[in-house]
Amino acid sequence: MLELRGLSLRAGGRVLVQDLSLTLRARGITALIGPSGCGKTSVLKWLAGLAPPGVVGHGALSLDGAPLTRPSPALAYQPQGDALFPWLTIAQNAALGLEVAGLPPKAARARVAPLFAPFGLAGCEALFPAQLSGGMRQRAAFLRTIVQDSRLVLLDEPFSALDAVTRMRMQGWLLARLRATPRGVLLVTHDLHEATSLADRILVMAADPGRIVADIAVPHPPDQRSEAGLAPLRETLKSLLLKESAP
Amino acid sequence: MLTRGLAPMAVFALLVAVWEVYCRLSAVSALILPPPSGVVRALVLNWDEIGGHAIATALVAGFGFGLSVGFAFVLSVLLHAAPRVERALMPIFVASQTVPLVALAPLMILWFGFGLLPKVLLVILVTFLPILMSLLAGYAQTPRAFLDLLTSMGAGRWGLFRRAVLPCARESFLAGLRISGTYAIVATIFAEYAGARQGLGIYILAAKNSFRADLVLAAVVMSACLTLALLGLVRGIDRITARGPKERRDA
Repeated sequence: MLELRGLSLRAGGRVLVQDLSLTLRARGITALIGPSGCGKTSVLKWLAGLAPPGVVGHGALSLDGAPLTRPSPALAYQPQGDALFPWLTIAQNAALGLEVAGLPPKAARARVAPLFAPFGLAGCEALFPAQLSGGMRQRAAFLRTIVQDSRLVLLDEPFSALDAVTRMRMQGWLLARLRATPRGVLLVTHDLHEATSLADRILVMAADPGRIVADIAVPHPPDQRSEAGLAPLRETLKSLLLKESAP
Repeated sequence: MLTRGLAPMAVFALLVAVWEVYCRLSAVSALILPPPSGVVRALVLNWDEIGGHAIATALVAGFGFGLSVGFAFVLSVLLHAAPRVERALMPIFVASQTVPLVALAPLMILWFGFGLLPKVLLVILVTFLPILMSLLAGYAQTPRAFLDLLTSMGAGRWGLFRRAVLPCARESFLAGLRISGTYAIVATIFAEYAGARQGLGIYILAAKNSFRADLVLAAVVMSACLTLALLGLVRGIDRITARGPKERRDA
């Protein structure tokens, strides 16, 4: 279990995030939602060991009780969009994390190769990102993240650039992949529908300064949820967000 | 591709035709303005001599341009690693480009003689800044998401540079090469004009002093061919190093 205690982020004299604490379980999806500018992405980046320019952060991070230094192989991070390198083939992109971790390129690609079919990318190994559709690019990016064998995955609005139909397909696909290769996921999203459809738990952030104002468990596993059943939860989340983002 | 190349060729042919017709119909002396056919005739008749000078110019320009690329690349890596040094040095580099060649070329000859060194130095001085600036601009275009991704994977500074920053600078670097390539031959000719034993610059000077406008223009044609050859080389580098279809890098 990943445990974050008392995270504060400051940029110049401004407090972006104040005394934020959260836990992330070894399995299941935790969604982090909140109004624009509340610091969702900054929290995710801090967890990934990234320092946005000019931002200073303090907080205690531990994994199963032991302090965690970052960047850590235990945490895989997927930035907004797919961030596939356009000059690398899909196979090279997918193997990137393994190569950075020190695996020789051939060995890294051999390890990635059996995963192309389950990820719906069979035959795409030698193609370049520009030759794939948005959904396929996302699958390739997720393959790159999953193959790193991390225990936890940090996803920053992974489906925000996709059209509605592709997004729905990718959400179902993500759940299926996580059933096959279980991981703990922290998903930053601004889409209430996405959060309630995918997550087991939803953390609601408020802005100025960024802080968690609600920690809500989503009833029933994702495959047993119905639109009607989720409606009250969405209403609750909507009113919470409207209240917290009111001027 | 073929259609795209036809338009400039047609415009060029039209201009040459207008020039030829004007020379034939007007009373302008061939000593002042020779017709294109006269220039071609002069080029063919003096091919050995002009070719020899062109080879000398090409060698100096190629050597100077190659050194310039190497110098600019090494400097760009150092300046990228030390942004404060970049801010301190950049005004000096920019100021170096404001020195008029007409003043600098004779001084170079005075300081370093008639050998290779002053000409190579002049080519470097003229060509290195566009390459340096294009590299630095290319490095700065690296999408933040690429750097974040690699950092989260545990890549160090060299890893970031090698895997993301350098590939992202490719297009910008090639644009800088094209600009510098255009200047390289001209800078060499200017240096030779100020003083040399061989080269198109000294040939143009000698032809001008003999009132042989046709030979001056024949040397100019040769200089244009050398520049186009250098730009063709850059295009070849572009094709060899291209990876994947072109796309906008917006991460």
